[in-house]
Amino acid sequence: MMLVLLLAVPLAGAGALALAGAGAPARGRRLAALHGVVATLTLAAALATAVAVYRAREVTALDGFLRADALSAWMVGLIGLIAALAAAEAPRYVAPAVAARFYALFHLFVFTMLLAVTTDDVGFMWVAVEGTTLASVFLVNFERTRASLEASYKYLLICSVGIAVAFLGTVLVYFANIQLFGDEEYALRWTTLLRLAPDLAPQVVELAFVFLVVGYGTKAGLAPMHTWLPDAHSEAPAPVSALMSGVLLAVGVYAILRFKPVVDLAAGPAFTEHILLGLGLLSMAVAALFLWAGTNFKRMLAYSSVEHIGIACVGLGFGGAWGIAGALLHIANHALAKSALFLLAGRIRAAYGSGDIAAVRGLLSRMPRTGAAFLAVMLALMGLPPFGLFTSEVLIFGAGFRKGAVAEAALGLLLLLVAFGGLLRSTQAMLYGAPADPTPAAAPLAWPVVPVTLALLLLVLTGLAWPPGLGDALEQVAGIVGY
Amino acid sequence: MTAATNLLAFTGLVVTLAIVWRQSWPGRLRLFALQSLLLAALAATLGVLAGRPRLLLLALVFLVVKVVVIPRVLRRIGSGMPVRPVAPGKSSGVALLVAGGLVVVAYVVMLPVTTVTALPTGSAIPLAFAMALIGLFLCVTGRDALGHILGFLVFENGIFELALLATYGLPGIVEAGVFLDVLIIVLIMEGVVGQVRREHESIDEPRLRELRG
Repeated sequence: MMLVLLLAVPLAGAGALALAGAGAPARGRRLAALHGVVATLTLAAALATAVAVYRAREVTALDGFLRADALSAWMVGLIGLIAALAAAEAPRYVAPAVAARFYALFHLFVFTMLLAVTTDDVGFMWVAVEGTTLASVFLVNFERTRASLEASYKYLLICSVGIAVAFLGTVLVYFANIQLFGDEEYALRWTTLLRLAPDLAPQVVELAFVFLVVGYGTKAGLAPMHTWLPDAHSEAPAPVSALMSGVLLAVGVYAILRFKPVVDLAAGPAFTEHILLGLGLLSMAVAALFLWAGTNFKRMLAYSSVEHIGIACVGLGFGGAWGIAGALLHIANHALAKSALFLLAGRIRAAYGSGDIAAVRGLLSRMPRTGAAFLAVMLALMGLPPFGLFTSEVLIFGAGFRKGAVAEAALGLLLLLVAFGGLLRSTQAMLYGAPADPTPAAAPLAWPVVPVTLALLLLVLTGLAWPPGLGDALEQVAGIVGY
Repeated sequence: MTAATNLLAFTGLVVTLAIVWRQSWPGRLRLFALQSLLLAALAATLGVLAGRPRLLLLALVFLVVKVVVIPRVLRRIGSGMPVRPVAPGKSSGVALLVAGGLVVVAYVVMLPVTTVTALPTGSAIPLAFAMALIGLFLCVTGRDALGHILGFLVFENGIFELALLATYGLPGIVEAGVFLDVLIIVLIMEGVVGQVRREHESIDEPRLRELRG
């Protein structure tokens, strides 16, 4: 019941917003208010669901079709939180004439992500993940510029091909299953798969996992399937970039994580761990290179997302309770930091009228508050203490050294350092120097500070003092993925 | 049953190769419709021979979506574009050679599946995977948006055929999702291509190269 409510809120909200926009066109304020109500209700439902699931360990609805365990709850909480942060910023970006369409698609997008992480049926999860692409492609092209059009074309094409590959993987898992156990009604349910996994044909399941990693890895932004990502993330309006970088990539990782225990039970964990470790390191390497070569700061943030999803996959590749808990914590930390940075980047771009790093000079003197926030969150993103990303990176690479994968862990740390340098160089160039236009930007309203401050506070919290329950939650998640 | 499915899958692959060979857009489109028709026939054949009435319904939906609706939308996308003349001295030789190689690759990759299966349709599975791979190849090497879309659709057809042969169709809700998905993708593509054309008055891919690095 709770899960039905969780999904019904954003879906009904999207419908209501679309209907409200169909009438009179110039009701921007009322639309924004309705949008705010839907976002708040979604956040409340997501947090309530997450807490309830951690207490009960599992919540199901609709005869088990919807099912949330600790891993789902982690994602549900994260999606609710990031969606609320992005939603708070959205009214700054939409013209009243198109507001209804934007808000409706925004909540539809949130709905598809929530659906993907709360369904027990891996076939339907595929449908929902594909739904995220279809709902967000219009949002990427929302500004309808030439560049955003190209970005959305690339996004739709590459992700559709990728997701079709994931479908092939799903078909093979289903094939392995019914081959042994006949045509079970629930053969695509994750719970069924997990129960039957030890008897599945290992070669088939391994082949399926390769397809699944390539497919969902495309959505997750893993190199070398990441080529759509910098375009889509940098051309989308800032709130959409925040959602895409923060949680859409994480949904891709989630889909891979659902299959990992099944494959591990059938074929042993070494196979999946090698693949995830390799792709993770490759993503880190590719991103580190492009972070040095970048000229556009939103693209820089997008490449940094490739890097951080890579770090999370490295954590999953190292495995063990530390590696997995570190990876999930890292995904959450990255989501908070990156969405805050995209929201700030949107303001900077609006103030300077350009996305080029070279065009932004003297950020700290021209936009003191935005500049200071940008610096603080950027330091968090670079993995400096006392922020959460430092903690999760320590957990991840600690897991590597513990496991004895010294060379891989050392390589990862080296790549981390290279990426750090690239980010630092660009950030430094933006923050200091003499602004071309020395007049301070118009003083912003006080309330837009709230989302970014909240993200920063949470990052300090995950870095310094874990709130009660966080450790327990991570332990539960690691238990599900690790088996 | 093996003979019937093998024949249909093999014919499907031949049509796929013909798509690679064919240079004109309307010709390729007709071949795509033919390929989809063969797959609908395959679904119906399986439905009758394996005694699964659900597959007959699937064949019907497939017929409507992929043989009628999607080719019609594609024709709309392609209308107004001149029938691409074959550049002098240009042949599909290399592309066909690659496609032939992909058939071999398909057999190798699908070995784990074909060794496990005892299904009468098992021997045709690599043929379906070959169709998917060739579709992917067409999509990657496509010179314009139409080429990309057609490649993607052939890829999707190959996967559909594989799912049919290996599992006799997935649960209904998933199949419905897949059809809806392909339909929406094609419709969105129509919108995107339309917008590109309005802005560039051409859908040549080299123009779509502004975003790089």
